[in-house]
Amino acid sequence: MTAKVRALRAKVQGRGRRRAGFLAAGSALLLATLAACGGGTSTGGGSQGFSPVKQTGGKLTVWVDSSRLAAAKLYQKENPSVKMDIVTYDGDANGSNYLRTKVSLFNRTRKGWPDVVFSSQNNETSWAVQAGFTAPLNKGLIPSSTLAGWAKGANDPCTVDGTVYCLRNDLAQTVLWYNTALMKKWHYTVPTTWEQYEALGKKVATEHPGYLVGSAGDPFTPEIYMWPGKCGANNVTGPKAVTVKATDANCKRMASLLDTLVANKTLSTSSVFSSDFDKNAAGKLLMMPGPSWYGGSLFQSTFKTPAHQIAVAPTPQWAGDSSPATGDVGGGTWLLSAHSTNLKAATKFLTWVTTSNDYQGKIAPGYPAYAPAAKAWLANQAASGYYANDITAPLQKAADQVWPGWGYGQFSQEAIWAATVTPGQTAGKSIVSLLPAWQKAIVNYARADGYTVSQ
Amino acid sequence: MSASSTRTGRARPPIARKAWRPVRAGHGFVAAYCVLLVAFGVVPTVYALKFAFTDAGAHFAGLSNFTSAADDFRFTPALEHVGLYLVFWLISLVVLVVGLSLLLHRMAAQGVSKALRFLYYIPGALAGAASVMVWLFLLDPTVSPVGFLLRAFGYDTFGEVIAPGHLPILFTLIAFWTGAGGWIVVMYGALNNISPDILEAARIDGAGAWQTARSIQIPLLRKWIVYMVILAFAGGTQLFVEPQLLSQASTGVAGRDYSLNQLSYDFAFENNNVNTAAAISVELLVVGLVVAGIFVARSGFFDAD
Amino acid sequence: MQTDTRGPAPAGLTTTGSRAPRLRSRPGRASKRTRLNPLPLLVLLLFLVFFVLPVLWLVLAATKTDDQLVHNNPLSFGSFHALRANWDSLTGFQGDVIFTWLRNSAVYSFLALVITLCVAVPAGYALAMTEFAGRRALLVATLVVMLMPNATLVVPLFLEVNAVHLIGSMWSIILPYAFYPFGVYLTYIYFSTALPRELLDAARLDGCSEFGVFRRVALPLAAPIVALVGFFSFVANWTNYYLPYVMLPQSNQFPVQVGLGTLLDDVPQFNPTVSGLAVHRPELALATLLAITPVLIVFLFSQRFLVAGMLAGATKD
Repeated sequence: MTAKVRALRAKVQGRGRRRAGFLAAGSALLLATLAACGGGTSTGGGSQGFSPVKQTGGKLTVWVDSSRLAAAKLYQKENPSVKMDIVTYDGDANGSNYLRTKVSLFNRTRKGWPDVVFSSQNNETSWAVQAGFTAPLNKGLIPSSTLAGWAKGANDPCTVDGTVYCLRNDLAQTVLWYNTALMKKWHYTVPTTWEQYEALGKKVATEHPGYLVGSAGDPFTPEIYMWPGKCGANNVTGPKAVTVKATDANCKRMASLLDTLVANKTLSTSSVFSSDFDKNAAGKLLMMPGPSWYGGSLFQSTFKTPAHQIAVAPTPQWAGDSSPATGDVGGGTWLLSAHSTNLKAATKFLTWVTTSNDYQGKIAPGYPAYAPAAKAWLANQAASGYYANDITAPLQKAADQVWPGWGYGQFSQEAIWAATVTPGQTAGKSIVSLLPAWQKAIVNYARADGYTVSQ
Repeated sequence: MSASSTRTGRARPPIARKAWRPVRAGHGFVAAYCVLLVAFGVVPTVYALKFAFTDAGAHFAGLSNFTSAADDFRFTPALEHVGLYLVFWLISLVVLVVGLSLLLHRMAAQGVSKALRFLYYIPGALAGAASVMVWLFLLDPTVSPVGFLLRAFGYDTFGEVIAPGHLPILFTLIAFWTGAGGWIVVMYGALNNISPDILEAARIDGAGAWQTARSIQIPLLRKWIVYMVILAFAGGTQLFVEPQLLSQASTGVAGRDYSLNQLSYDFAFENNNVNTAAAISVELLVVGLVVAGIFVARSGFFDAD
Repeated sequence: MQTDTRGPAPAGLTTTGSRAPRLRSRPGRASKRTRLNPLPLLVLLLFLVFFVLPVLWLVLAATKTDDQLVHNNPLSFGSFHALRANWDSLTGFQGDVIFTWLRNSAVYSFLALVITLCVAVPAGYALAMTEFAGRRALLVATLVVMLMPNATLVVPLFLEVNAVHLIGSMWSIILPYAFYPFGVYLTYIYFSTALPRELLDAARLDGCSEFGVFRRVALPLAAPIVALVGFFSFVANWTNYYLPYVMLPQSNQFPVQVGLGTLLDDVPQFNPTVSGLAVHRPELALATLLAITPVLIVFLFSQRFLVAGMLAGATKD
C-alpha cells in the first residue's frame, strides 16, 4: 500500500534523489521500501548515514505536546540566541496519527518538516523511517558515548536494524501507586501478586465501598494491566509481522480480574483524566497500578493529592511466576528530522532535552530514559519529600523488567482498545466477553497497516 | 439592503429569450468563472476518476480499488453510520423544521415571531468546529447545563453519553442545532408566499389549523421540503468534522473511522493509499451527482430555462 | 468551494425565482392569528431554549475557572478576573497563535470573498441577461456542482493541488473557496428577476458596449446581491474545516477552525497525556467564542437584510 504513494511522490518530486550508497544494513524488506521511496533524504552515503540537505540554518522548529512545552521553553530561556519556533500538537497521543499524516503532507510539499519532534508514542519509527523523515542518530550525529548513557533497552523502540532513529524521553514502566495513609489506617498490606490485588479489591468493596484500587477506563488500560499480565495480544515479531493472541490464558485471567473489580466498583471505568474522575474519584484512591509518570502528572499536579501519602510498590505478578514483568505506558520519543537545514542546532537541542539535568533531572514529570538524568531525577523526587516512601528502588527495578512479549507496532493499541473495548465496557459488557472483538480489531488494524498477522 | 430593492423588477424568469440578440460578450463575463469551474469542479472529478481506476503504478486497475475499499473492515460500518445518521437527520429536519415554521407562521405577535426566527438562526454562526466544541461540553454531564437531563436518562459520564449507538443521534443534534434555524427562515418565507386568499378560503370552509396545514400549506411547501432534503442529504454524506473532533476529544473511543469521508482521509494520509481513497470519493460523488441530477431534471425547481 | 451544504445557505434567495403565488397583503393575516393556544407557544419556547441555551452557556463558560466550570452552577457567571486570566493564557498559547489563526481566517475568507464576487457577479449576469453558446450547459453544470457534496472532492482536490505544487500555499484553499457556484446561481436569479431587459436595451441603443451595459446599468443595481453572496460566501469560508485541515499542514497557517482542533488536543480532559502547560476548558470556550465572533457580528448587522433577503419573495410590498 505504502508503495503506491511513494511511487506517486517520486513522480511528483522529481527523480533527483539518488539512492546509491544506501547503508548496507537493513532487511530486504526495508531496503525494498526505501528504494521504492526514492525520495527520502535518509538514503545516500555520507558520514552521518544520510545526506543532509544544505545547512542554511534559520529557525529551529520544534514540535512538542503541551507536557513537553516546558522543556522547549526552558531551552529557549537558557539559549536566547537560538531562534526557535515552538509548536504544540497532540503528541500523537491515543493513536491520533497526527504527526504521520502531517509528515506525509510535508513529504509532498517538500518543506515544512519540524526539526525536532516529541511524540508520546514509542512506535513512530515503524513509519517514520520508511517515510525518510527521521535522521539516524548513531551514525555521527550523536556520539556513542552519549548514547551509551540510556537505560538498557530504552532505545529499543527507536532502533531499526542497529540504527537508532529516535531517542527515548522517559521510561513509563508500570508500578503500583498506593496511598500509605489509607493502607495503614485500614491495616492492609500492599499486594505483591495479582491474586492478592484482586483479593484486596474484594475486601475494599465490602469494607470501604466507594474506594478504588485502580482504573480500567483509559485507552492505556491494556498497557497497565495486559502487558505486565503477559497477555500475548501484541507480540511484534518483525518489522511487519505480529502475533496476536488476545484470548490466551493470561489475557483471560487478567480480563476476568478486571471484570471482578469493575463489577464490585473498586475499579473505575472513567478515564483518570476525565473531569468525572477528578470530581468523584480522585479523593478515594487506595491503589492505582500505573506508569512512573502518574506520580508527577497525575497525583501531584492533577489530583493535587497532599504530600506524604503516595507511595510506590512493584507491579504485582501472577502467583508463582518467577520472571517479574512490568508494562510500559508511552514514555515518548524525540525524533530528529532528516530534512533539517539546521542539524547542528537541532542535534544540540535534542541532546539537551533528553539528557540535561536542568530539564530531565529537575522538571520532567516522568522517569528519564537517560540514566544519569534519571539518577538526578530520583534524587530530586526524594528531596522534594512528596512521596511517602523511597520510590527509587521500585522504579529502577521496574525499568529493567518491562516484558518484551509486547511490542511497538505501527497500529495503535491504545486506539484499538479505546474504540473496541471501552464502549463495550461502558455499555456494561465484561472485558472477557469483549476479548474476541479486541482480537479481531487488532488483526484488522494490523493488516490495514500491512502487517502479516499470526493468530 | 431593503427588501423592496431585491424586487424592483417584476420580470418573470426569462422565457422569451429567442427575441434576444445573441451576444458574444457573454463569454467574456463567464470566462473567469469557467476557469474556476474547470479547475475546482471538473478537474478534481476527473482526478478522482483517474486515481480510482488506476493502481500505484498508474496502470488501469479496473474496479480493484473499489473492491478493496468495500472489503476494508471499516467500510461497511462507515456506510451504516452515515446511512443511519442521514435517516435521523433528514427526518428530524423535515418534521421539526416544517412544524416549527408552521407554528411561527401562525403566531399573532409578528415581533415575537421574527425575534424567535432570528434566535433560532444564531447557532448557524457556530457551524463547523465551533459547534462540536460546544456540544462536547453539553454532552459531558459534569459540566453540562443540561446535566440533570443526561443523568435522568441514566448517563453519568461523558463515556456513557457518547456510546457508539448514540452517535447518529448526537450528530443529528449538532447538525440540527446549527442548521435548522436557517431552514426555518426559508420555510417561513415559503409559507408567506402562499396566498392569504387560499388560507382565508380554507378558514371560511371551517378548516382548523391542522387541516389547513395538512391539506394546503404542506403540499404547497413540498418543493421546498424536497430542496431542503436534497441539500441536507448532500451535506450529510460529507460528515467529517464532527466525528473527527469527537474522536480527538474522546481519546478515540468514539468517532474514529466513523464516516466515509474519514475513511477516505485515512486511506489517503494514514494508509498511504490514494487510489482507494479516490475510489471512495468517486462513490460518494456518484451518489451525490445522481441525486442532484434527478433533482435538477425532475423537480422543475431551478430556472435553467 | 463550500464543503458543508447542510446549512440552509444555498436556499437563500431562491424564493425570488420561485413561482409561488405572490403574497398580496400582510394585514389580512393578523385577524386569523389571534387565537392563543399555549401548547404551540410552549413548543416554540422549548426550542428557543434548545437553540439559545448552549450559546449562553458558552459565553458564561469563558468567565469561569476550570474548577468553577465543574463545580458551580452551569449557568452562573464566573468573574471578570477569571475571564481576564483565561484571555491571558489563551493569548499566551504558542505566543499569540490564536491571533495568527484569526488573521489567517480573515485573510482566506476575505480574499476568497473578493474573488468570488469578481467572478460570480459577471457570470450570473451573463447567464441571466446575455445569450452565448454553451449558456444552458453552463447553467446546468452550475446547478449540479452546487448540489454536489463538495467535501468528497477534497481528497481529489488535494491530489490536484499537490500536482501543481500548491500544497501549503494559502492559494490552495483560497482558490477552491472562491469557486462558489451557489453565488453564481443567486446572481443569476437576481438579475433575471430584478433587472428589466428594457433598461439594458435602452443602454445598448445609447451606444454602450456590452461591458458598458454591465458596468453602467447592472452593477449599480447589484448591491443587494453582492451583499447576499458576500454573506453566504464569507460564512461558508470562515466555517470550513476539512479543506484547510488537509491543505495546510503548518500550525501558523491554520485558520481558526482548525486551530480550535489544536487547542482541543491540549485540553487534559480530552487528551490524557497532556499535563503541565495545558489549555483549560474555559480557555477553549473563549477561543470558540473568538472564532465565531466575526460570523456572529456579520449575522447581527445583516439581520435585517438577511431575513429580508432570505425571504425576498415574501416581504415585498
